[in-house]
Amino acid sequence: MTRMTVLVLAAAFAVFSGAASAVNFGDPAAGKEKSTACAACHGADGNSASPTFPKLAGQYADYLLQSLKEYKSGARQNAIMNGQAANLSLEDMEDLAAYYASQEPAVFPVSAD
Amino acid sequence: MKAKLFGVLGLMVLAGTVHAAGDPVAGENKAYTCLGCHGVEGYRNSYPSYRVPKLGGQHAAYIVSALKAYKNGDRDHATMQSQASQLTEQDMQDIAAYFAQAGQGEQ
Repeated sequence: MTRMTVLVLAAAFAVFSGAASAVNFGDPAAGKEKSTACAACHGADGNSASPTFPKLAGQYADYLLQSLKEYKSGARQNAIMNGQAANLSLEDMEDLAAYYASQEPAVFPVSAD
Repeated sequence: MKAKLFGVLGLMVLAGTVHAAGDPVAGENKAYTCLGCHGVEGYRNSYPSYRVPKLGGQHAAYIVSALKAYKNGDRDHATMQSQASQLTEQDMQDIAAYFAQAGQGEQ
């Protein structure tokens, strides 16, 4: 293989490996165990019944992780969530995000027709 | 007496609907600019890099509260703040109603 071929293949691999929605951080099983406090508002599997609390099931894991980080740092303000996130380690947040992302989706992508 | 009771109950029901519920058909038109980011699967926020959230099937009331928080600056994100600043209350209700019922069959 020429060097160019190798570089092109490596680039293609890098691009396409990111396209999958597979979560590459966090342990969903550990996340489930850590989610007891979350279930009260967001539902056991992240499909919240109350319109006040967003559905999390099937949401992008990196978005969920970003949200938890922002609640913990105070960049995002919500009295309940700031309190909830205060005690979470990065590992906790990654596990929780991975858990909810892997649940039977309650939120879906929408495409422009 | 019964007529009075039903009259009062009827007024209470109407009072609950004073806030015009969102119209998903109007919302689909108004959500056109939203789909530029939220309608491209896997689309990423530029920095930090994370995927913009899926909105299809989300609670309409939650979407409205998020848009209001962006509009009044309680929630920080430059693009979302500028998007939301253009929206009236009715726009928000319509857009939220659209997203709440969108995307379900596309998975």
